[in-house]
Amino acid sequence: MDFQNRNNTANKFVCPSDRQLALRAKLKAGWSSSKTSEPLRPEEQEAIISVIRRNEEIEVAERQRVGRLVERVEKIKQHAVERGPNCCRLCGDTFGILRPQRILCEDCRQSVCTKCSVDINIRYHTSERSREIWLCRICSETREMWKKSGAWFFKGLPKYDMPRSASATPIPNPGPGSMAGDTRAVQSCHATPTRPARVKKLTIRVNDSSSSSSGHSEPEDEVDTGVGIGVGVVGGGMAKGIASTRLQREDSFRLRAYGSIRSFIDGGERKLSNSFFFNRQQSQRPSECPEYDSVSMSKLRRESSFLRRGSVSSSWSISDSSGSGSNNSGNSQTQSQYQQHQQQLQQHCRDPLLGWLEIAISYREAFHSLDCTMVRARDLPAMDAAGLADPYCKLNIITPEAHTKYTRWQRTKTVHKTRNPEFNETLQFVGVEPEELGNSLIYVALFDDDKYGHDFLGAAKVCLSTVHSTSQYRISVPLGVEDQYSNAAEMAQNWPNGKMLLSLCYNTKRRALVVNVKQCINLMAMDNNGSSDPFVKIQLKPDAHKNKKHKTSVKWRTLNPIYNEEFYFEASPHDLNKEMLILTVWDKDLGKSNDFLGSLQLGAQSKGERLQQWLDCIRLPDHFHEKWHCLAPDNPAH
Amino acid sequence: MASGGDPKWQKDAADQNFDYMFKLLIIGNSSVGKTSFLFRYADDSFTSAFVSTVGIDFKVKTVFRHDKRVKLQIWDTAGQERYRTITTAYYRGAMGFILMYDVTNEDSFNSVQDWVTQIKTYSWDNAQVILVGNKCDMEDQRVISFERGRQLADQLGVEFFETSAKENVNVKAVFERLVDIICDKMSESLDADPTLVGGGQKGQRLTDQPQGTPNANCNC
Repeated sequence: MDFQNRNNTANKFVCPSDRQLALRAKLKAGWSSSKTSEPLRPEEQEAIISVIRRNEEIEVAERQRVGRLVERVEKIKQHAVERGPNCCRLCGDTFGILRPQRILCEDCRQSVCTKCSVDINIRYHTSERSREIWLCRICSETREMWKKSGAWFFKGLPKYDMPRSASATPIPNPGPGSMAGDTRAVQSCHATPTRPARVKKLTIRVNDSSSSSSGHSEPEDEVDTGVGIGVGVVGGGMAKGIASTRLQREDSFRLRAYGSIRSFIDGGERKLSNSFFFNRQQSQRPSECPEYDSVSMSKLRRESSFLRRGSVSSSWSISDSSGSGSNNSGNSQTQSQYQQHQQQLQQHCRDPLLGWLEIAISYREAFHSLDCTMVRARDLPAMDAAGLADPYCKLNIITPEAHTKYTRWQRTKTVHKTRNPEFNETLQFVGVEPEELGNSLIYVALFDDDKYGHDFLGAAKVCLSTVHSTSQYRISVPLGVEDQYSNAAEMAQNWPNGKMLLSLCYNTKRRALVVNVKQCINLMAMDNNGSSDPFVKIQLKPDAHKNKKHKTSVKWRTLNPIYNEEFYFEASPHDLNKEMLILTVWDKDLGKSNDFLGSLQLGAQSKGERLQQWLDCIRLPDHFHEKWHCLAPDNPAH
Repeated sequence: MASGGDPKWQKDAADQNFDYMFKLLIIGNSSVGKTSFLFRYADDSFTSAFVSTVGIDFKVKTVFRHDKRVKLQIWDTAGQERYRTITTAYYRGAMGFILMYDVTNEDSFNSVQDWVTQIKTYSWDNAQVILVGNKCDMEDQRVISFERGRQLADQLGVEFFETSAKENVNVKAVFERLVDIICDKMSESLDADPTLVGGGQKGQRLTDQPQGTPNANCNC
């Protein structure tokens, strides 16, 4: 406050005397009187509330304005180079005799060059004086922000709302089918996933699965499909929307079956786990008839078969409890169940099968060790143009609480260039208690080995309640589609070069391939500040139309850049069958050669999801096909 | 004091293209002319009928001052005692105060010291105050002379104006002067403490405030 005591000799405004205070108390005047104020009337309250509401509108606009000021200053700070005392703080130019002159900023005392500094003329309007100071651009903008936001008065920045990011992914145009359009819209909504977010999402789904609530898991399934983990089937020609719907329906059936079976397991019926195992196989093949009656009819048929399975299990329980069951009758009982299971599968299988897996399991009670021998697999999906694959297995134990027992998945070696691999490899799980066998599962996920990404081939679950100490349990199981366990197995793999989200479209009007580089995540850090300045080079090889190479812009100081940049390559659909799209990610280094970060190749010679996206782009022109791909560490020479 | 050469550029409240935003508050006894003063400045209108203000009200006006667009949010308070708890809640956000009394009312002039105590209690330390004696056009009923008002303003260390909302005397000059004083205070505060802007920490607040000299002439 600018109040000053200039006139001490004035007697008029001294403290009141006792008589004056007594007089004020008698007359109920002055500040010491506490008059009971009457409450406000309703119309008065309403008038005050309307003023408060008008003020809130102004304050909302003011918060947004301050947010824009803050964002402007933050952007200028991000562009600062900060390369040492002999270089400009903002642009990095070195000072010297023939170089730009050094100017010291008044506020931050850092050296900047002449073009990165501002001459400020501070004028005082009441006293007609002024002074000049030099500021760097950061401090000049910070001063303006503090003036315009009122922070100079309140000694701190008021509340503000940062403006919405302008680099949000635009929603692509929906196709003719609303189903495909909805799927793409879902993909666009989640086009910027990060690794912790995906892990968290999977955790939520596991909890939903354990609570047997299938209603909540369906939207998450669609979200998960949109992230880019597509179905590994190649050559089937299925649209993404149909596959997504099938995934939803299958997960819904599986979760319901799992919930109903868990009620039996919780009752302590150990022998009913056989039915749980067989019913799991059936639930992986729900009917795809679009009519509602057929779906409900199929459901009724499945429930009746489940009841029949229960009777068989109870029969086995009686024979087991009598004690007179010999080993031979036990084997015949198992064989009988196996044959019935085969018949059931032949009746209910209408989906294309992902293959078969032969597995042998034995348990050594003395060592608390579970030995799983991956014998072989048959009729796996083809992953490349030659109709072959490079499969390997990943294993884990699923507990009754629907968790993976081990964080680290065990994995076999890769068998190359075959769709019928002979693994013949035994993997050992130690620390397995005998009581756990009754309620646990062995989960096996098969993947296709590739340097650009490991594609899902199939998955199987084997119940452990039939494993005994004396003999080896050998079974051949069909391979099913993806679920949360296969996603967890895939994410357990280490992929150091990061991933890229790519969108391809063949434009028939322009007769050109449209390549939309959307974003990358988890790139390698190449600079000393723990970050990189990545950009992407795009090239088509061999090129019949002599297209030139393209480059994206450089995104400074980030390992997760968002580009959303489109490039056109003139080509014909016939030429695309012989060409290869090569994308390489580089770290921009000023004054030095750029550092290589990763590469990606798509074309007719690719495998897995790369091949599928390439073929989808040719077969379904004028539609954008978007997928996540892993980047490879080797640099293709070009 | 009046500067007629300035370009007249005023916009409505919906305009977001301004440089500074200042919040001003008009306080004083009831019926000294606070609402008429605000309506004369914001809407250039005057009405003789007296309607007591209910609680609080505000108007927004954007002025162009020294090559800067300044948006003023001017709060009008009720002078009656029963609205005191409502009006003092808005002292905190005000950067400038217009302390008004009536030259034809002795009680309103005697209450100026009490209003100064209110400002010290409820507002920020660096708020600026201007003392205004309204209704200077009623010379035949004047009981407070210009010299007495000037003397009180000098004693309080604030600027002083005599105005008339009815005749539009010195109304614009009061607001222009208050804007100039706040602008100078803004430049001085950034010079006095460069660590506020040099550090650039968002939301950083100083814990220790410089202690001003206490006024030895207060009533307590």
